[in-house]
Amino acid sequence: MNPATNSGRALPWALVTPALGWTLLFFVLPFLAMGFSSLTAHDGSGFTLSNYSQFFANPAYWQAMVNSLQVTAIVTLVSVLLAYPFAWILAEQVPERWQRLALMLAVLPFWTSYVVRSYSWLLVLAQNGVINRALTGSGLFTEPVQLANTRLATITGFVHFFVMLLTLTIFANLKQLSPSYRKAAADLGAGPVRTFLHVVLPLTLPGIMVGAFLTFVLCIGDYITPQILGGNNELLMPQLVMMQIGRRGDFPLASALSIILMAVVTVAYLACARRLKIERA
Amino acid sequence: MSINPNNPLSVLKSHLHATYAAAALLLATGSLAQAADLNALIWCDHADPALLQPFEEANGIKVNVKEFEGTGAGMAIVEQSQPGDWDVMVIDSIDIPRGVEKGLFEPLPEDKLPFADLFPQVKMDGSTVAGKRYGITEKFGYNTIGYNKTKVDPADMQSMAALTGDKYKGKIAIYDYYLPVIGIAALAIGKKTAELTEADLPAIKDELLKMKANAKLVGEVTASQTALATGEVDILVGGGEWVTAGLAKENPALDFSIPKEGAVLWSQSLAMFKDSENKELALKFIQYIMSPEGQARLATSSCYWGMPANAKAALSDEQKKILRFDEQPDFLARAQSYPAPNADLDKKMQDVWTEMLQAQ
Amino acid sequence: MRALVRIASWLYALAVYGFIFLPVVVLVLFSLQATSFPIPPFTGPSLRWYDAVLADTRLTSALVNSLLVAALSSAVAVTLGFLSAWGFARFTLLGSALLRGLITLPLTVSYLIIGMGLLVLFNWAGVPKSLLAAGIGHVVINLPLCFAIIYSQMGDHQINIERAARDLGAPEWKVLLLVTVPVMAPAIFAGFFLSMTFSWDEFVISFLLTRFDTTLPVEIWNLLRSGLNPKTNAVGSLVFAVSIVLVVFFELMLLRRKPA
Repeated sequence: MNPATNSGRALPWALVTPALGWTLLFFVLPFLAMGFSSLTAHDGSGFTLSNYSQFFANPAYWQAMVNSLQVTAIVTLVSVLLAYPFAWILAEQVPERWQRLALMLAVLPFWTSYVVRSYSWLLVLAQNGVINRALTGSGLFTEPVQLANTRLATITGFVHFFVMLLTLTIFANLKQLSPSYRKAAADLGAGPVRTFLHVVLPLTLPGIMVGAFLTFVLCIGDYITPQILGGNNELLMPQLVMMQIGRRGDFPLASALSIILMAVVTVAYLACARRLKIERA
Repeated sequence: MSINPNNPLSVLKSHLHATYAAAALLLATGSLAQAADLNALIWCDHADPALLQPFEEANGIKVNVKEFEGTGAGMAIVEQSQPGDWDVMVIDSIDIPRGVEKGLFEPLPEDKLPFADLFPQVKMDGSTVAGKRYGITEKFGYNTIGYNKTKVDPADMQSMAALTGDKYKGKIAIYDYYLPVIGIAALAIGKKTAELTEADLPAIKDELLKMKANAKLVGEVTASQTALATGEVDILVGGGEWVTAGLAKENPALDFSIPKEGAVLWSQSLAMFKDSENKELALKFIQYIMSPEGQARLATSSCYWGMPANAKAALSDEQKKILRFDEQPDFLARAQSYPAPNADLDKKMQDVWTEMLQAQ
Repeated sequence: MRALVRIASWLYALAVYGFIFLPVVVLVLFSLQATSFPIPPFTGPSLRWYDAVLADTRLTSALVNSLLVAALSSAVAVTLGFLSAWGFARFTLLGSALLRGLITLPLTVSYLIIGMGLLVLFNWAGVPKSLLAAGIGHVVINLPLCFAIIYSQMGDHQINIERAARDLGAPEWKVLLLVTVPVMAPAIFAGFFLSMTFSWDEFVISFLLTRFDTTLPVEIWNLLRSGLNPKTNAVGSLVFAVSIVLVVFFELMLLRRKPA
């Protein structure tokens, strides 16, 4: 890109400083404050590492991290597996002029409020909810099945949201593929299955990775869905963090737990960083 | 938070403080404009418009409310606020001395409040500090066993053994608040709630784990109410009139018992802040809540029902029946006090609770 | 074979649509419930819960607060994002890649952690909780998004038009306002729209950073805690309706721009 230098060096910095300043003041600095807070004792008796050591010493605490990772991994995997064929159908099987409408419909429930979405699932999955009524009414089951207040309910709520999100990103990805790739593959004698496996799938993989990473970040930090649907039969990390704030106002411990959570996300980020292209190369 | 003056972060802080002070000033203008309003730190039953609106209209002001759960969280909110931010607070009656120790509360004028009309057991004569009363009990009830009488045998509900036995496995919900349920577990193993120490925690934990193994969910106020009302479960550990009474219209089969081991008495008080800039209005508010009309509205609030502390509350006969008003002397005699751990034991109790939640 | 794939595709798509719409249908249906529990059997239709929502001043003022916070925080986010994207795209800056990385960094951090950080910092500096504090948090989450969208759309094409304008003697601010902004309008618009969406729906930051006046998701959460109640269905359905209207509105605006 050609730098325009006729206006000196002041202008470019004047353009980027507000955004950088905002990020430093309201993102980096709060993070430092949180780090500082995590090293202090709740009773104000000075510096301590006990907020961190507590996490590792108490199985009930690190179990929350294990639960979070398990749930997030399952959610990410299931969502990708459900969304990819769906996005593919929308992009390849639905006639061009209906595609926009089909996609709009697929993400419409995105626009229900986020808190309400989880609540709606509670209604669907409840003991006397729609699904159980249908199951017992049809004679398939004599007793209602426990669906609400389980890990399965939490996962269902999450998958619902992320299928929509991933359908959007994967659809966009598929549409970006130039048809000439496929044509080239066909010309070289590849059947539709081989074309898909060797051309389409590899080319859309980076897009899937971006979507999967986004799913991972949003899922692992979410408090509402497990709180509403999980029935507190187990705790995930965000619930443990909010418990420290809500019950005891223990900000140092909540800060330490948040930092541990963030460290795990960072490790995940680094693990797939090579495949990620969040910004233009 | 203690801050070392040589710490680089502290130096950074002093530089930044000016920036934030300017921002704070900007933000504060919004709250200054509301100086004539009453700022109340409350439990969800006080957020009911049916309770607040008559007071707001009579005085031409707005009551700003902030909900919280648990004394620890409430104290944290107060500590993070500026002096004068808050006027009144709802607090567990037993925790009033904790607030007084921190120098938060103003003594209440006994002659201007209906202390004489309170049920004697909830007057909290033990919670006076240097002969002064810093809080007035407004509402009470029991954390005990709530159940659906058409689905379980009421005779079984007279003993806490039913909670850990096999008969009702998978039909039980546990109220997700550690103090009362730890109290119930203590009663179940024959301990006095007022005398709990750290040494009792392992036995209490075992009892909690047995309950958890029988439970379908551990839920907050709403989730546990709903689970009981919709038939998701038939028994709620920690339930009481605060669950069953409000739902009596929708589901008249809901009831509660005080088993032979006893029950945990919960009791909430109103206190006034020493730094309130609005003490006159704060007192008016407390007087309103303690008046027969205010008491009736509070007792039947939309979030949860409970016994009015003032025996003269203007409740209808039907409401009294739902609350089992006439049986109170017997209930009160058999109930034990709410656990009141110090900060250290409190943390340990909460860790026990966390372990119970995580147990599979 | 081809027909088989087609049929399987249709069945699969229908199943996914069913999964996606099931909770929404249940939500809206039971908002019309006449009795107090939003679970089967259906006892409606009745509009009593909608009346209850519209009569609830806490909910209606939370709705206004949400719209305000969303509009203002998105405006700030898109302005800062646009200016910085322009700065980075047009000029070679020292440490550009690193600085761009810094701006987009919040994208990789959970909202809970961003909210926690601001809460600790604001406590520490004595900044009271308020809608403005929540709005600041919303700019933090939306700024990187706006920046990334706008930056990715800035190309040589736009640089060339700008240079032409400058060669014709237009001062820098005129180039910005009369050339860059109109050329970049779709990206700016997309950034603003997406920010609105995220802010409108954001819960945890608002939950941690507001006090009395709060946003709609937080108020809905409070409502939820007072019981399983068709009123929650009604407010959820209303939010859904408002959102759909906004989406259609924005969609039409975008479509109208397309041919130009």
